[in-house]
Amino acid sequence: MKIQVDLELCQGHSVCLEECPEVFDVAETDEGYPKVLVLNENPAEDLREKVQKAAKFCPNHVITIIEDECL
Amino acid sequence: MMMDTVMQGLKAPPKVSGEKPQVGHMEEFGVNFARFLMRCNAECGELAEFNMGGQPTILMSGPEAQEAFFKTLDTRLSRAAAYQATVPVFGKGVIFDAPEDRMKTQLKIQVDALRYQNMKSYAAIIAKEVEDWIAEWGEEGELDFLDEFIQLTLHTACHCLLGPDFRYKMTDEFKSLYHDLEKGLQAIAFVDPYMQQPVFEARDKARVRLQELISAIIAERRANGERKYGDALETFMSGTYKDGSYLDDNEITGLVIATMFAGHHTSSGTATWTLIELARQKEYANEVLEELQALFSDGRELSLEALREIPRLERFIEEVLRIHPPLVLLMRRVLEDIDYKGSLLAKGKTVAVSTYGSHRNPAFFPDPERFDPHRQKPDTLWAFIPFGGGPHKCAGNAFALMQLKSIFAALLPRYEFELVDPPESYQDDLSAMVLKPGSPSRLRYKKR
Repeated sequence: MKIQVDLELCQGHSVCLEECPEVFDVAETDEGYPKVLVLNENPAEDLREKVQKAAKFCPNHVITIIEDECL
Repeated sequence: MMMDTVMQGLKAPPKVSGEKPQVGHMEEFGVNFARFLMRCNAECGELAEFNMGGQPTILMSGPEAQEAFFKTLDTRLSRAAAYQATVPVFGKGVIFDAPEDRMKTQLKIQVDALRYQNMKSYAAIIAKEVEDWIAEWGEEGELDFLDEFIQLTLHTACHCLLGPDFRYKMTDEFKSLYHDLEKGLQAIAFVDPYMQQPVFEARDKARVRLQELISAIIAERRANGERKYGDALETFMSGTYKDGSYLDDNEITGLVIATMFAGHHTSSGTATWTLIELARQKEYANEVLEELQALFSDGRELSLEALREIPRLERFIEEVLRIHPPLVLLMRRVLEDIDYKGSLLAKGKTVAVSTYGSHRNPAFFPDPERFDPHRQKPDTLWAFIPFGGGPHKCAGNAFALMQLKSIFAALLPRYEFELVDPPESYQDDLSAMVLKPGSPSRLRYKKR
C-alpha cells in the first residue's frame, strides 16, 4: 500500500500520530496549522490496521491509502 | 468602476428578483434566510446575486461552485472581511481582527486545544456532565430539551475550556455576560456592528467584564505554576507566536469566546434536533438503540476510544446535520476580482454558500426533505458540508461529533423519548442566525 495525504486539508489534529507513529508524524510549519509528515510512504503490511485507523479517524479525512497495482 | 483588463468581458452574475430600495432583500432574508437562499438558487442557478442591506452578495450553489468557495485562498476570498461582526465580540486583535500571521497562529493554538490528549480529557468531562444532568431525572418526566441542551452544552463548553473550578462556580453574572455577547451577534451586526444600539453597548460592556473574569483565572493559574489542567485555557496560555511571545489576556479571552461561540449553540441545536428526530423516526431510532445496546451493554465508560466508532448513530447524526445544518450561511468577502467560469466575482462583493440549500439538492439527495439515515453518500466532498470544507473546515468537527455521540450513547439505552406536541409542529427556527428547533422543544422521557 501507498500513503497519500492532502496537506491543504490537514489541520494537525494528530490523530494519525496517536494511531500509527511508525508512519505518521506531525510537524510545526512556518505559519498556521502543523501538518502531517509521512515518515514511510510504503508501509509494510503488518502496519495496515494501524494505518487504516489513522485514515478513518482523521477528522479531516486527509489520508488516503492506495493499494499496490501489481498482481 | 475601474476594471482590470483581464477581467473585461466577464458576465455579471444574475440578480435575484424582489429587491427593494435601501433594504434590498433584507426583509425577505429576515423572515427565513434558509428558504430565501433556496429561492435565489432556484431562480438564478449556480450564481445568484442579492442585496443584503446594501452589501451585494453572490450565492454560490452546487458542488463545483462550493468547492471553489472553500478552496480559494484567504487572500482572495477573505473570511476576516466577511466576519467583521465578530470583532467586538471576540475582541480587538483577535482572529478576524488580527494581522494574517497572528490570526493563523491563534487558530493553530485553538486547534492545539483539540488534539488527542485534550480530547481524551474532554470525553471524560462530557460523560460526567451528562451523568450529573440525568441524575436528577427520576423515572419519567417532561422537559424543554432545547433549554436543557443549551444548559448542558454551556456546562461542557465551560468545563472543557476553563476547567472544573470555573465550571462549578459559574455565576449568573457569567451567564448574563455571555448572553449579552450572543445578542451582539445578530443579523443586524453583519450590516454594521458599530451602530449606536443598546444591544451593542451591552455587548461591549460584557466583553470588558468577561475579560476581567478570565484574567483573574489566568493570574491565579500563573501563580500556581506547575499545576496541570488538561483544558483549553491551559493550551491557550502556553501557545506562542513565532517570536516566542505568549498570547495576552485579551487574546486568550477572545479565543475562549470564539471557541464557545463556534461550539455552543451549534451543538445544543443539533443535540435537540437529534433527540426530536429520534422520537419522530421510530424505526431508525430502534436501529440506533440496538447498536448502542450491543456496544455498551458491558457498562463500559464513554471514553474517546469507546465513542469513536458507532456507525448507525453517526449516520443518524449526519442525517440530522443534513436536514438541520446549524450554520446555514457561510460567507467570504472578495478582495480581488475573480473569474469564475466566465462570471465576475467583483472585488468588494460578498460571496456566500448555503449548507441548507446544498443539503437539499435533489441531484445528490433524492427526495431531500425525507429523513433517511440510509441514503447514499454523495460521491463528491462538496455537497454535504455541515462543517464547511477545505483548509478552513470547522476544526471542532471531531469534538462536536464526539460530544453528540456521548450524549446519545448515555441517554438512549436508559430512556425512551416521546414528542409532547404534534410531530410536524417541531420546526427550524432561524431567528438567531444559528439554526435550531423552535422553543419550547418538549419531549417526555421514561426509564426503559
